[in-house]
Amino acid sequence: MRIRIADVTKQYVREGSLRTAADEPPALDHISLDIADGETVSVVGPSGCGKSTLLRLVAGLETADSGTVYYDEHDVADVPPQSRGIGMVFQDYALYPTMKGAGNLKYYFDVHRRTEEESRARAKEIADIMGVGFELLLGQQTTTLSGGEQQRVAIARCVVRDPTLFLMDEPIVNLDAKLRESTRMEMAKLLKRYGVTTMFVTHDQQEAVFMGDRIALLRAGRVVQVGSFDELYYSPANLFVASFFGSRPLTVLPATVADRAVHAGEVSWPLPAGLADRLAPGPVRVGVRPEAWRVAGAEPGQGAPMAVDRIESVPAERLTLAHGTVAGARATVVVPAGTTAEGLRLVPDWDAAAFFGADDEVALHTPGPPDFF
Amino acid sequence: MPALLPKVGMRQPKLRYSRAAIAGFLGIGVLLHLLPFYYIISTSLKPGAEVVRNPPTFIPSAITFDAWKLVLRIGDESQIVQLVKEPFWVYFANSAFITVIAVGIGLPVTALAAYANSKLQSGRGARVSFLFFIGTMMVPFVVTLVPMYLLTLNFPFTMPDAPMIPGTDTEFPTLRLWDTPWAVILPAIFVPFNFLLFKGFFDTIPNSVINAARVDGGSELNIFRRIVMPMAVPVFAVTAYMSFGSVWDNFLWQLVTLQSPEKVTMSVATYQLIERLSTAGSTGGGAAAQAEGMGDLLNSGLTWNGMMVLAILQSIPIFIAFLVCREYLLRGIKIRGLK
Repeated sequence: MRIRIADVTKQYVREGSLRTAADEPPALDHISLDIADGETVSVVGPSGCGKSTLLRLVAGLETADSGTVYYDEHDVADVPPQSRGIGMVFQDYALYPTMKGAGNLKYYFDVHRRTEEESRARAKEIADIMGVGFELLLGQQTTTLSGGEQQRVAIARCVVRDPTLFLMDEPIVNLDAKLRESTRMEMAKLLKRYGVTTMFVTHDQQEAVFMGDRIALLRAGRVVQVGSFDELYYSPANLFVASFFGSRPLTVLPATVADRAVHAGEVSWPLPAGLADRLAPGPVRVGVRPEAWRVAGAEPGQGAPMAVDRIESVPAERLTLAHGTVAGARATVVVPAGTTAEGLRLVPDWDAAAFFGADDEVALHTPGPPDFF
Repeated sequence: MPALLPKVGMRQPKLRYSRAAIAGFLGIGVLLHLLPFYYIISTSLKPGAEVVRNPPTFIPSAITFDAWKLVLRIGDESQIVQLVKEPFWVYFANSAFITVIAVGIGLPVTALAAYANSKLQSGRGARVSFLFFIGTMMVPFVVTLVPMYLLTLNFPFTMPDAPMIPGTDTEFPTLRLWDTPWAVILPAIFVPFNFLLFKGFFDTIPNSVINAARVDGGSELNIFRRIVMPMAVPVFAVTAYMSFGSVWDNFLWQLVTLQSPEKVTMSVATYQLIERLSTAGSTGGGAAAQAEGMGDLLNSGLTWNGMMVLAILQSIPIFIAFLVCREYLLRGIKIRGLK
């Protein structure tokens, strides 16, 4: 099923607040998003950006102040969540505490007046898909299950009805790291198997990248950018997108473009010809990822000196990182193994650096995905 | 008691002593609470003359069931002094009917109101209705007593006489609740304190559970019945027990609204009996007549021992209600720190 969210706005009025709705920042601010049939879209963003609200709105658990949600071509504003045929997984699993695992799966069939046999057959089917030991969980009171087990029951409850749309609200955020990894795999397999349209809400960028065919990045109730990971990583729409993705922080250098060179603090780097033609002179902010720095030669005039606080080696990733300051900005830099803190001089790799406006965050130039992909 | 008297560290002498002290203290408390019950039971088994003896006896000199027999024949016409008009079981049945109906209708109504306030309303509306309901707790009963009494006379008008329809000489049609069981039942249906308990509990149920049930296709009522109610069983037990007790034991309002002898409840009938007992004979005037009236009563066997029988009979339903709810009550007390 195709989902289309068209220009949706939603505003909460805080309880007990004397302020009118107009003063409150909206939870969702003119959001438009298109999800193709069978596609998984990860909705990602910092806490409080409205991603859960968006999900509940698609589920029909919230109503929009303005704008429309379409399932295929049908406006679902008047369809209650009960009859939308969706499956939803909640962050806290939201299992029915007084029922056993099996009862949780059966509730859907009970309220839809399906037969006992059908519900049992479906539960059996799901248990086979969910893998080893799942049937044991169904016989237990859900309150006695561990987090991971509860989560599996919650996913099974969502899958058992053959939904036309999966909505997942940070389903694996409460699990420990190891379990999260394996559950992520399991869920990705499930989604692939069913080929059902999915909205996957998370605040974890890795998870978003792993689960989603496309990623929608939200900020303060607005969609900042929608696209594949490569698009968001290599062609960020603005500084926020650029700094959101990447497991290590992006270095943001306040600088000025003049005379076909970049001047940051006391250092200046000449720009390659192609780039110099493209950038208008004036103040900019240069975004450089940790892996996009090159160590310059020792002779003065080349590269900016880095004041190193700490050299960190990450054996698992065969990396050496230098943390410190370059031209007045905090920087984390991937350096060759064995680099010493003394006399480290750096030049941005201009093929991988992005330029943003100094006042607004709009991207002036982005590198785009590297050729070797 | 495990929380109060833990087994941990019992080899410490200090802990042992303090534990013994706590146990002793609680034991005294239990005895103090049981003493009145013992006295009620023993008095009910004493012969009539011994009951009024001074100083009172602690152990009955002879055990007799006269008082019990008498109470069960209390409305009998053949009695020398007919104390009340109806047999005892009529009052018992009246009380039982009123209590069962009031609790049976009241609990679902209060629970649904609290659920709606907690989970279905939001924002200012929820706040205002919550304060409205809770606000009714702030008004003392004596303040509302007279208006409520007037209300039962010509419902829904708070007037002794129904007003005239303007331009005609007929009265507005009104509902006379006074002197019917409904005058007692209707005000007891919505109990703000129970509302508060229910609301407090429903607030602790995560919204996501309700939302999950909605996505599963449950209607709001079905969600309440299948998901929420099983979770709220301890709260239902607590509220059921408390409203059962408050309706069954209520006296003042029942005295005001119930007048016909065949409609009076246990608590009112008991009061009327005490009144008869303490004023019997005084109406004729003169000490001799009073003594004669007293003598009649004593002869018929009804003095305080009869009262004690009534007291026991009136306590039994509460006791049964407690036994039924006991398991959940204890859990509820543990959960919510009630009472």
